[in-house]
Amino acid sequence: MSQVENVIEVKGVYKDFQLPHEKTSSVKGIFTTLLQSNALRHKETQHALKDINFHVKKGEFFGIVGRNGSGKSTLLKILAGIYQANKGGIKVSGKLVPFIELGVGFNPELTGRENVYLNGALLGFSRQEVDAMYQDIVDFAEIEKFMDQKLKNYSSGMQVRLAFSIATRAKADILLIDEVLAVGDADFQRKCFDYFQKLKGNGTTVVFVTHDMNAVREYCDRAILIEKNEIVAAGNSDEVATKYTRMFIEDASTEKKTKRKLKAMG
Amino acid sequence: MGRLKQRYAYAIILLKQLVRTDFRLRYQGSFLGYLWSLLRPLLLFFILYVVFAKFLRVGDRIPNYPVYLLLGIVLWNYFVEVTSGSISSIVGRGDLLRKINFPKYVIVLAGSVSALINLSINFLVIIVFMLITGVDISRYVVFAPLILLELFVFSLSLAFFLSALFVRFRDINYIWEVMLQGAFYATPILYPLTLIPHKAAMILMLNPVAQMIQDLRYMLVTPQTQTINQIFGTQWIRLFPVALTLLFAYFSSSYFRKHSKYFAEEV
Repeated sequence: MSQVENVIEVKGVYKDFQLPHEKTSSVKGIFTTLLQSNALRHKETQHALKDINFHVKKGEFFGIVGRNGSGKSTLLKILAGIYQANKGGIKVSGKLVPFIELGVGFNPELTGRENVYLNGALLGFSRQEVDAMYQDIVDFAEIEKFMDQKLKNYSSGMQVRLAFSIATRAKADILLIDEVLAVGDADFQRKCFDYFQKLKGNGTTVVFVTHDMNAVREYCDRAILIEKNEIVAAGNSDEVATKYTRMFIEDASTEKKTKRKLKAMG
Repeated sequence: MGRLKQRYAYAIILLKQLVRTDFRLRYQGSFLGYLWSLLRPLLLFFILYVVFAKFLRVGDRIPNYPVYLLLGIVLWNYFVEVTSGSISSIVGRGDLLRKINFPKYVIVLAGSVSALINLSINFLVIIVFMLITGVDISRYVVFAPLILLELFVFSLSLAFFLSALFVRFRDINYIWEVMLQGAFYATPILYPLTLIPHKAAMILMLNPVAQMIQDLRYMLVTPQTQTINQIFGTQWIRLFPVALTLLFAYFSSSYFRKHSKYFAEEV
């Protein structure tokens, strides 16, 4: 087990966003900023990620947890090549398919069928390849009779089912999955978990961002916890999940204390 | 060849699908649908023909002026469609850019290919007109594909530059709209070059689009029109628009490549 190769290596990654208070997106803006001295220019640097180091081994189910705004999604986007890191290096070996969102490129004006082909193309499938798996996708999504209707007439649940159904067909060495389980009914969620089980079985590497600690405990081999843009815990998924949960309990208790204090003062 | 194919496999799949989607969506919900691809230039042509050929009589000395005019309009419309259409194409796909990493140039290329398909449809109409009016096709017509290639590259280069620039500077579309309006009159589309002073004609013909339109008219409609080398009195001047096109192509593709990495963060 010790000799399994790393398919993702992240070393000393930093990501800053430059947030100008007044975004120069007009020609007039350039002139006025040109005239201003450096000191006057209000540019705020927001650190989104600080010194991130981790690796993911081949076939691993790797969890990334953390609260909203901690930098999880930025990290995922850097792994997917959507954002560029300011500093540090990322090495990914193999075909990586990101699911930052299900149904990327879905167009409400197109029919379900056409959207399958469009979304398929974005995931790298040719028309012939989509042809071959089309029936399979439709069966899995259980929306056969709606395929020739425009997507705008679908319920959101149907859209998600269709999107997920395409996603599960994506052949990839590495999958990045961002909180896709937040939607769908119980039946659909069960399908998702079945799919994860299958992924674990066939040795696909999965990087999984979620708030669902039960899922982390059940599926992830290892996990990292990101808090205020830094990794604060890494390793065994059980421990990371416990630490994450405790973080919220501590927060809640300090909040109560301050409230009580305020009340006492008031 | 196999390696090259593999490297661009994803881009090709995506390009085909985006062009297909573009055509699906273009005339959706319209009663006449794809017919508008033909009707639009024809109706515009009809208006301009009535105004310029019947009332102002600018084309009286040009044989087959209607076909001459139609060809000019169709080529100009292609140029407009590629450049203005592309400006907001990157920003318009911002949603996609933030979700998945794919070669961004495909978006701009897809718009250009859609316009090219439209141009071919329009050429069918032109050919019909050519057959009806009995135009004087030159033997230089063998060079027509080269001119069309020049038009494709020139328009696409501008499209790359404008679309990348628009990500940062959202005034570009207004500026470009006004520039196109001016350029329409500064290009000999409606009027013959003999109508304006020679010096002015020399300046106007330095515009590659003007050179291409006049060349294709010379080849396809009538030799009684002036091409860039006739205006300047030397064949060497032909190097100028070609060099300009190549320079544009080089400059815009490197600008686009340099900035495309950051599109997802900036749109």
